[in-house]
Amino acid sequence: MTSPHPAILSVGRALPPHFVDQETLITSLSAYWGARHFNVERLADLHRAARVGGRHLALPLVEYPALDSFAKTNDAFIRVGSELGAAAVSDALSRAGVSPGDVDHLYFVTVTGISTPSLDAKLVNRLGLSPAVKRTPIFGLGCMAGAAGLARASDVLRAFPGEIAVLVSIELCSLTLQRDDASVTNVIATGLFGDGAAAVVLGGGDRAAERAPRILATRSVFYPDTEWVMGWDVVDTGFKVVLSAKVPEVIQSNVGGDVDRFLAAHGLARADVRHWIAHTGGPKVLEAFRRALDLPQAAIARSWRSLAEVGNLSSASVLFVLGDLLDADEARPGDLGLLAAMGPGFSAELLLLRW
Amino acid sequence: MVTMTNSESAIAGEILRIARDELGIVGEPPPPDAALASALDSLQLLSLIVAVEDRFRIVIEDDDAAETRSLADLARLVAARTDAALIPAAPEPVP
Repeated sequence: MTSPHPAILSVGRALPPHFVDQETLITSLSAYWGARHFNVERLADLHRAARVGGRHLALPLVEYPALDSFAKTNDAFIRVGSELGAAAVSDALSRAGVSPGDVDHLYFVTVTGISTPSLDAKLVNRLGLSPAVKRTPIFGLGCMAGAAGLARASDVLRAFPGEIAVLVSIELCSLTLQRDDASVTNVIATGLFGDGAAAVVLGGGDRAAERAPRILATRSVFYPDTEWVMGWDVVDTGFKVVLSAKVPEVIQSNVGGDVDRFLAAHGLARADVRHWIAHTGGPKVLEAFRRALDLPQAAIARSWRSLAEVGNLSSASVLFVLGDLLDADEARPGDLGLLAAMGPGFSAELLLLRW
Repeated sequence: MVTMTNSESAIAGEILRIARDELGIVGEPPPPDAALASALDSLQLLSLIVAVEDRFRIVIEDDDAAETRSLADLARLVAARTDAALIPAAPEPVP
C-alpha cells in the first residue's frame, strides 16, 4: 500500500530588523579591504554584480567590529538565531493553525553556527513544544539543507501519516564574515549572503489541508569527487568560505539530466512542471539552473526577486521562495512544482510537489 | 614565438610567482603566449588580476582585462602602466 503523501501546510519567515543596503555594505567593507587592495572599486563592482539590493543583518552594523573571535560570532549566532528561529516557527505554526504542543518532529538545519544543545532544543523551551518532540539537527548541508530538510521530514511522515513535522532553517551568514580575508572568493561571498530564518510545517498524509501542496517524491543526487567545489575551511576565526568557479558549471552540466530522470520516474517531463522553486544561489547559479533546464526567465522570477531583496540566505533561501509562492496563491489544484537546491558535497536535492 | 622586453619578462616572472606563492595556483606555468583562460578558471583569473593590481599599483580596466589573453599580454600591459621602480630586476642572463 502506498503511503499518503505528506503536505506542506505553511511556510513562516523571519528576517532580522537591521536592513542595510548594498552600497552601505560596500562602503563599510571597503574600510577593511581598501587598505589591502589597490583597486578597491573592483571589489565594489564584485558586490554590485551579486544583484543583491541589501541584506538584513543579524546585528546592527556598528556591532560587527567588536566580533573579533569565533567565540563571539558564535555566541551572537546562538542568541540571535534562537530569536529568529522562534519567530519563523511561530509564524509557520500560526499560518498552519497548529499548536506548538502538536509538533511531533523538529528538524533544524544550519551551516552558519554551532551549539550543543543545538538551537532546536532552545526552540522547544522557548515555544513550549512537546517534551516528546523528536529533534533532528542537521549541520553541513549548506545551501541545500532547506530542500534536504523538507525531503527528510516528508520521508518520516510517510511512516507516520497522522503526525506533524516542523523544519526550521536558521542562517546568519553575516556572522561568518572573515574580515581579514581579502581574497576575491571571500569578497564575492560577502556580497551575496544574507541572514534569515524560515520554517515549514509539514503534515502527514492524514493531516493534509485541502489546498496544501503535497510532496509526491524526493530525490538526492550526489556528484562524486566534487568535495572541493564548495564548503567551509574551519579556521581560528570561524568558517572560511570555499567557493569554486566550477559551481555554475557543475549545475549546468548535471541539473537538466537529473531533473529529467527524476520527473521521468514519475511519468512526467519538464513541460508538466508549472512552478519552479529554485535556490537563490546567486546570479551565476540561477542562470546555470535556468539554462540547464531551458527555462524562460519568468520561471525563476521569484528566485531572482528574493535574491535582490534579501540576498542568498543559504538553506533558508529556497524556503523563502516557496513561502512567496504560497503567499501569491497562484497555484491551482493539480499544478505540479519542482523545488531544487544545490550545496556542498557537491549535491542536489529535488522535491516534486502537487497542489 | 612571443617576444618580450627584459622588463616584460621580469614582470611575467613576477606574475607567475604571485600565482604560485600568493594565490596557490599549482600546475605547470602556461607558455607566455598561451591563453590564460585555458590555464585558470574565472575566479583564479580575477584573483590574479587583483593581485597584479596590488603588486604593481595599477588599475586594470575591464576593457583592458578583456583584451589581455595571455601572460605576455598582461606583462606588456603592466609594463606600460606601472612605475618603473616597481618592476622587478630582470633575471641575470644565463652564461
